Amino acid sequence: MNDKEKNTDKIDQVQLVYARVLEMVSHVGMAFLALGYVVYVLQLLPLSVPIDAIAGNWHLKASEMQQKLHTPAGWSILSSSGALFKGDVVSYLSIYYLAMATVVCLAFASVTFYREKNYLYTTIAVLQVLVLLVAASGLIH
Amino acid sequence: MSPATKKILVSCAATSGALAFLFISPNIVYAIQSHAAEQTAWWVWMILLFAFSFVLGIFSVLAGVGGGVLFVPIVSGFFPFHLDFIRGAGLLVALSGALSAGSPLMRKGLADLKLGLPMALVGSVSSIAGALAGLAMPANVVQLLLGVAIMFIAALMLKSRAYGTPDLKEPDALSTMLQISGIYHEESTKSDVPWQIHRTPLGLFLFMIIGFIGGMFGMGAGWANVPVFNMLMGVPLKVAVATSGLVLSINGAAAAWVYIFKGAVVPLIAVPAIGGIMLGSKIGAKLLTKVNTRSVRMIVIIMLVVAGLRSLLKGLGI
Repeated sequence: MNDKEKNTDKIDQVQLVYARVLEMVSHVGMAFLALGYVVYVLQLLPLSVPIDAIAGNWHLKASEMQQKLHTPAGWSILSSSGALFKGDVVSYLSIYYLAMATVVCLAFASVTFYREKNYLYTTIAVLQVLVLLVAASGLIH
Repeated sequence: MSPATKKILVSCAATSGALAFLFISPNIVYAIQSHAAEQTAWWVWMILLFAFSFVLGIFSVLAGVGGGVLFVPIVSGFFPFHLDFIRGAGLLVALSGALSAGSPLMRKGLADLKLGLPMALVGSVSSIAGALAGLAMPANVVQLLLGVAIMFIAALMLKSRAYGTPDLKEPDALSTMLQISGIYHEESTKSDVPWQIHRTPLGLFLFMIIGFIGGMFGMGAGWANVPVFNMLMGVPLKVAVATSGLVLSINGAAAAWVYIFKGAVVPLIAVPAIGGIMLGSKIGAKLLTKVNTRSVRMIVIIMLVVAGLRSLLKGLGI
């Protein structure tokens, strides 16, 4: 058994599960981010708000820009028809994916804690998932 | 050329580069910003932002701080974007950095879930509150407070002395109940290092405050997480740094959603910033053994003081 395997033996199973899921979601996330941006700035798909309009108003407060340009925020980016075929929406979704990555890792960690009968950390991890889901739902903005 | 001479030359080159970055680059950017911001094509700003973030990424690794803490004060001083968008991008910069570095640190047992999760739970709730408060405040007040926070961080970086492996202290009741302790393998000495923590209630309270500040200013909070873990709670430095990334990835995600729903996350600005910082961090990690990190840390402290002063002056309307 080599050093690396010996070390892995000492690490909690839940840590290894979290690491495996994190590696997968972060790699996909970075690729999605880059791809989404290319689609957006090269305008390979139509945009819901033109880039020039964003650039002409990025000195404004976020709320003022939203009021002036009716830029989508949160999940409202998906409300227009054919949203998924808009370049800026694809780029927004890549960012949302990154912000959700931790939820996915924590969900897997919760299940592993539960299987290990570690109910204290199952509760902490589930509470953490709930906090992130409430934030992602837009209920508290 | 001897390795020592080479190291000195590389350090001198890095220092001159940094000074040029510090004194010339802001002037160029500021000149463009004040005289021709409206005439400059958006893609020029994006290239500048990517290049700027790339340099920040290199410096952040060499100075041992997260990219997020440098990004917000420096970019807000020299780019035409409103502070709201810079803070939104700053949180995503910190979040992406923590996500991409997290997996190997978790596998090695350096980032510890049982240590990180309770801190992240209180920190994420307060980071949401901090983000809401920060976005509700007038920009000049946030800018002023940011200036104060940055000066404090610079002072903390100047004064703090981290402990590689703190002495094992008697664990408190809460840390025992939360089963927070561990062993990590120290590769330099090929030995297993046991650790446990103390002062957990105070640590939780401080993580709540740090979460609030991180959410309010859109900064990563490694500058505060690490000293609290290491100097207050007795966590070995490597475990403290790695677990700080885990906490940051959770708190950053929670606060980022508030910025997203307030319309303060614009992919046009956020993505080049993330890309630049992440690429720069990889180069920085390769330069780590070749550059005198103490001088770089000093340069970063000077950069923070300059950015903090600019932020204070901007906040005061001067």
